[in-house]
Amino acid sequence: MWHLLHVTIHLCYFAINIANALESHLISKGLLRRYKSLHISKLQYLAIVIESEDCRTSNVIELLQWLADLGVKHVCLYDMEGILKKSKDFILEKFDGATLFQENDVLLDQPLMTLEFASLSDGKEAVAKAANVLFMKYLKSGSTSSYQGEQIFTESQMGEALKTVGGNGPEPDLLLVYGPARCHLGFPAWRIRYTEIQHMGPLKSMKYGSLIKAIYKFTMVQQNYGK
Amino acid sequence: MPFSLHFSPTPLITAPSPLSKPSFLVPYYHTLHAPKSPLCSSMEHALTHQGKQEAFDLRPEDSQTLPLGLRRDAMPSHVAVIMDGNRRWARLRDLPVRSGYEAGVESLRKIVEICCKWGIKVLSVFAFSSDNWFRPKVEVEFLMSLFERGMQEDTGIFFRENIRISVIGDLTKLPKALQELMVNLEEATKNNTLFQLIVAVSYSGHYDVVQACQRLALKAKCGLIEPSDINVSLMEQELETNCTEFPHPDLLIRTSGEFRISNFMLWQLAYTELYFAQSLWPDFGEAEFLKALLAFQQRQRRYGV
Repeated sequence: MWHLLHVTIHLCYFAINIANALESHLISKGLLRRYKSLHISKLQYLAIVIESEDCRTSNVIELLQWLADLGVKHVCLYDMEGILKKSKDFILEKFDGATLFQENDVLLDQPLMTLEFASLSDGKEAVAKAANVLFMKYLKSGSTSSYQGEQIFTESQMGEALKTVGGNGPEPDLLLVYGPARCHLGFPAWRIRYTEIQHMGPLKSMKYGSLIKAIYKFTMVQQNYGK
Repeated sequence: MPFSLHFSPTPLITAPSPLSKPSFLVPYYHTLHAPKSPLCSSMEHALTHQGKQEAFDLRPEDSQTLPLGLRRDAMPSHVAVIMDGNRRWARLRDLPVRSGYEAGVESLRKIVEICCKWGIKVLSVFAFSSDNWFRPKVEVEFLMSLFERGMQEDTGIFFRENIRISVIGDLTKLPKALQELMVNLEEATKNNTLFQLIVAVSYSGHYDVVQACQRLALKAKCGLIEPSDINVSLMEQELETNCTEFPHPDLLIRTSGEFRISNFMLWQLAYTELYFAQSLWPDFGEAEFLKALLAFQQRQRRYGV
């Protein structure tokens, strides 16, 4: 009975994978009408999270080319261990359709894609550093408050402190996760309050059609931000 | 977030007592009750015939029985839930929004019972976010009264079932009476060990990080720690989820087909498996929960290692 159940589940997943692959193929060939016109302007900032073990620069460059073809203008590439950060120069050299994202860059339409590279040090560690910045300012202010219930820091102050330590880029509208696990692997948490998250599977199995589908789904979302 | 905690003392699968909700809602309840999964039909049959007092009892043999396919050794210790879709559920049925919240409460009761039986130690629920304060005043007031009523009515269940209640969030914004009730309930149940329910009220991930920074700053000012000591580990200890042995959820479930975490436990969810379910929260039952847990157990989780 157990083996029968096991086989049944595997067959179901196999069928689902075949269907997804077929759909992806049809989308990439432009045969599915609704995916033909993407409202790409809605996607102001895209984050890509990749498992460090799966970071193959050839795949990354191909993915960036697809994104450029679709008209995506601002991308953040993240992996925990910073392998993409270390390969930044190589990636920018091989993919000549991009410039490095500068912190003060405004998200405007630009001829070249801007690329940001992030790792774990830009996430929790940056927040800890920002906490230090806030504390130093608090000390200097000479505040005598010691009442635990009183608010001495605000969220916007934290945002400013994160900018100071280089840890507060734009909030991505969409975050695509390439890897076996469906989690964001420590992407700077401060920035993903309302970010749509899509799991794309392993990077080595990435498909153009799946990318289009994920972006299309994002463009159809209406958020009320809790209100 | 559209949820309110209201543990009615009535058995799970029968209509709640008319006293627990406005009478004009009662006639609609039977036709709108969530369809049953065939997997839980035997469990429901047993529950139905145990009677009112035993509805939440955990028989020893039940605690050993898991649905086929689920592995006890791979159960998540901490599951977090964004209970989205209560209002949409009500609108789809031309019901007032309140009905959606009431139905959401029933759904939560079921999930808590399932967690207890399947060995999940902690369940965190996003009951009311910082953003929800911008909802219509009438709706917010209803939710606050629902919280208060629910906690008062279900205190007995928490004690009987050895459930610990923890509340996280900026409670200073809540009505005074509700604040006191929550604090007292936390204190009274702090030694309960079977299961912990963490209710996030007036909470956001941003708020949690900022309050952790604040607590550290005050500690440093009092000389308890050095400013240079402030690091990731110390931050973790000051987050409000430090009220549990398992502060990082293993699995996050969000219902209603939305694919985002909406400012919930931002710091804590770094390695959490994210599961986005299509069903609206009042329809999220045992079958859907089982699917989420099976998906969790099948993933290759490297925890970033």
